[in-house]
Amino acid sequence: MKSLSERYVPLVVSVGQVVIFPYYILWLKEASLTFTLFTWFFASFSFSAAMGYRLFQAGKKPANSYIPYIYLGVGCVYILVGNIRSSFEVLPYMALLFQVILGFLQGYHHAWHIEQNAYRLHAINHYLLVGVIMVGLSFVKIISPIIFITTFGAILFICGIGLIFMKKEDRAVSN
Amino acid sequence: MLKPSLINNNKQVIHKNPWFLGFVVCIFVVFVSLNIPIEKRKYGLSQSNLTTDYAGLLPERIERIVKVGDRTELQKMVKEANEKGHHISIAGLQHSQGGHTYYKDSVVLDMKTFNKVLEIDKQHKTIKVESGATWEDVQEAIQPYGLALKVTQSQSIFTIGGSLSVNAHGRDIRSGPMAGTVRGMTILTPTGEIKTVTRNDSEEWMKYVFGGYGLFGVILDVTLELTENDVYIIHTEELKTNEYEAYFEKLLRNDDASMHYARVSVAPNSFLNEMYVIDYLNTGKKDHQTPLKKERGARIGKLALDIGRQGGVLEDLFWENQKLLIKSLDGDKITRNNAMRGNSVFMEFTKPGRVEVLQEFFIPVEQYEEYISDLKRFLPANDNNDDFKIHNITVRYAAKDDYTYLNYAKEDMFGLVILIQHGLKEKEINNAKAIIQGWTDLTLKHGGVYYLPYYPYQTKEQFRKSYPKWEKFHEEKLKRDPKVVFQNIFYEYYF
Ligand SMILES: Cc1cc2nc3c(=O)[nH]c(=O)nc-3n(C[C@H](O)[C@H](O)[C@H](O)COP(=O)(O)OP(=O)(O)OC[C@H]3O[C@@H](n4cnc5c(N)ncnc54)[C@H](O)[C@@H]3O)c2cc1C
Repeated sequence: MKSLSERYVPLVVSVGQVVIFPYYILWLKEASLTFTLFTWFFASFSFSAAMGYRLFQAGKKPANSYIPYIYLGVGCVYILVGNIRSSFEVLPYMALLFQVILGFLQGYHHAWHIEQNAYRLHAINHYLLVGVIMVGLSFVKIISPIIFITTFGAILFICGIGLIFMKKEDRAVSN
Repeated sequence: MLKPSLINNNKQVIHKNPWFLGFVVCIFVVFVSLNIPIEKRKYGLSQSNLTTDYAGLLPERIERIVKVGDRTELQKMVKEANEKGHHISIAGLQHSQGGHTYYKDSVVLDMKTFNKVLEIDKQHKTIKVESGATWEDVQEAIQPYGLALKVTQSQSIFTIGGSLSVNAHGRDIRSGPMAGTVRGMTILTPTGEIKTVTRNDSEEWMKYVFGGYGLFGVILDVTLELTENDVYIIHTEELKTNEYEAYFEKLLRNDDASMHYARVSVAPNSFLNEMYVIDYLNTGKKDHQTPLKKERGARIGKLALDIGRQGGVLEDLFWENQKLLIKSLDGDKITRNNAMRGNSVFMEFTKPGRVEVLQEFFIPVEQYEEYISDLKRFLPANDNNDDFKIHNITVRYAAKDDYTYLNYAKEDMFGLVILIQHGLKEKEINNAKAIIQGWTDLTLKHGGVYYLPYYPYQTKEQFRKSYPKWEKFHEEKLKRDPKVVFQNIFYEYYF
C-alpha cells in the first residue's frame, strides 16, 4: 500500500501534469484574451508555486497527510476547467484563480515529492513516459482537450480519495 | 513588518518568507484582476477566421486585408480591381453593425493605419487629417491649440472616414450635420482617380461620399472646420417625457446652450415617462490646458449596467441611481473637447448566445410627444421575462440635412438611440426583427426614419420608405462605380 502511495501515485501525477499541459495551455490561451494576460497568468502560477513550496518547507513535518488533499484539489481544478460553461465575462477571472490554486498545490507537491526516496527513481521513468505518451497523443486528433483535462482531473480526484481511505485504514490497523 | 525567514546559514532572506510570498501573490492577483480587459469580445477583420464587425452578427470570409499606408499603391489597387472585377470594402474601426465594412471574398482596406495629422491651421481653425485617424487622434492634436471639434458622435472612438461615411451626429446642437463641417477632402474615386473636392464642386462627390457607406470610393484626407475649446457649465434636470418638446424649444432659444442630450427611462416603474436632460451651457471662457479625460470607473459603470440588465426591480434601481449620478453633475464645468468624449467601455457585453445591438430612430422634433405615447402602447414596460430587452434610450438632436442623399434628418429631428439585447437563436432573431420592424413602421407613421449604420432588421420596403432618394443614390453609384468595385453587405442587402 505504501509503495502505491509513495511510488506510483506521484509518478502518475507528475507525468500526467506534463502530458496534460499542452491541453491546459490551449484552454488557458482561449481564456486569457491577450498574450500579456497569458504571461501574467503564468507569473501568478509561479509566484503561488513559490509560496506553496515554501509553505511545505516551513511546515511541521511529516506533511504527508496533506498530499491526498493536494491531489484532490488539483483534480477538482482540472474537472472544473473541463466542465466550465461560464461566459467570457468571468472566464479570465476564473483562469486567474485556477492558476493561483494550481501553482500553490503544485509547488507544495513538488517540495514534498523531492524529499521522497522514490523521487530519483521517478526521474528517468517520468521523462520516458512523457515522451512515449506524447508521441501516442500525436495520433489522437479527434478528442477535444476538454475530455483529456476532465479525465486527468478525475484520475487525480480518485487518487486523492483512494489515498485518504488508505490512510484511514492504515491508522485503524496500527491502532 | 514582515519577519524575514532564517534559512541558509541563518541569513535573513525576505523573499523566502512565506508571508512575504503570500503578500506577493495577493498583490499580483489584484493587479492582474484589475488589468483583465473589460472588452473581451473578439471581433473585427480576420484573414484566417471569419470577419465580423462590432455586432458580430454577419460573419463572412474575406479575400485579404490591406493595411492602408500609401496612396499610390491604393490607387493602383483600385485600378486593378476595375480591370479584374474584384470587390473592395473599406473598414475604419468597424463600429457599424450591419456588414458595412466587408463583403464575401472582398479585399478589405483597413484604414486604421492611415491616420496622420497633416496640418493644423490655428488662424483659420482647420485641421487636415488622414481619414483613418480617430476623433481621439484629432482631439489630441488640437487640444494644445485651444481648439475643439464642431461635430462628433457622443464618443471619440470612431474614425473620421467611418463617421463621415454615415454622416454621424452627436451632442452639438449648433453646428448642423457633420458633413457641413468639412471644408474639403481628397478622395480616391471608384475608377481610381485621386481628386480634391469641395462642397461647391460641380461633380458633387461630397453629396454621395458623406453618408455613402464606403460605396463611392475612399476618403483619403479631410479638412475639418474647428471651433474654440469652450468651457461649459453642465445643467441637468429631471423631466416628464411630455415636457421635453417645450423644454428643448426653450433651450434652442438660449444662445449659451451649445450641446445637449437626454436619457429616457426604460425601467418598469417609470417606463417612457421620466427622462433627464444634460445641457452644456457656454461660460464664455476658453480652455488651453485641461487634459483630455480618459474613461474612468468603467468597471463600476459596467457593474451598474449589468445590474440594470437584470431587469425588473433592479432596472428601477439602476434608473434611480443614474438620476442621482446625473444630478451630481449639475453645476460642474467641462471643456468642449471633454464633453465630446463620452464613455463607451462600460457598455461592453459578452454573453454566449446573446447580443447587444444599437438601433436609432429619428423623429421630427414636434412629433416627440405623440411618438412616445404610441411607443408606450407598443412596447412592454417590463421586459424582464422577454427575450427582447431594451436597456437604454438616449436622445440627441439632429439638425436638418438636405445635402446628402441618404439623409436621415429631412427636418430637425430627435434621434432616439436604443440599446437592445436579444438572443441569437433563429426564433429569437426573428422575434427581434418583428419587433424592430413594427417599431420602424411606427416611426415612419410619425414622419421619422431609422439610422443605417446598424444591423438591418428592417425590410427593403421600409428602407425605401425611409430613404426616398435611394433610387438616385443607386443610380449615381452605378454611374460612378460601374464595375461595383466598392461593395459591402449593407449595399447587397438594400440595393
Ligand atoms: C457604441 C456606439 C455608439 C455610437 N454612437 C453614435 C453617435 O453618437 N452618433 C452617430 O451618429 N453614430 C453613432 N454610432 C454609429 C457610428 O457613428 C458609426 O458606426 C460609424 O461609422 C463608426 O465609425 P467607424 O470608424 O467604426 O466606421 P466603420 O464602421 O469602420 O465604417 C462605417 C462605414 O464607413 C465606411 N468607411 C470607413 N472609412 C472610410 C473611408 N476612409 N472612406 C470611405 N468610406 C469609409 C465603411 O465602408 C462603412 O461603410 C455609434 C456606434 C456605436 C457602436
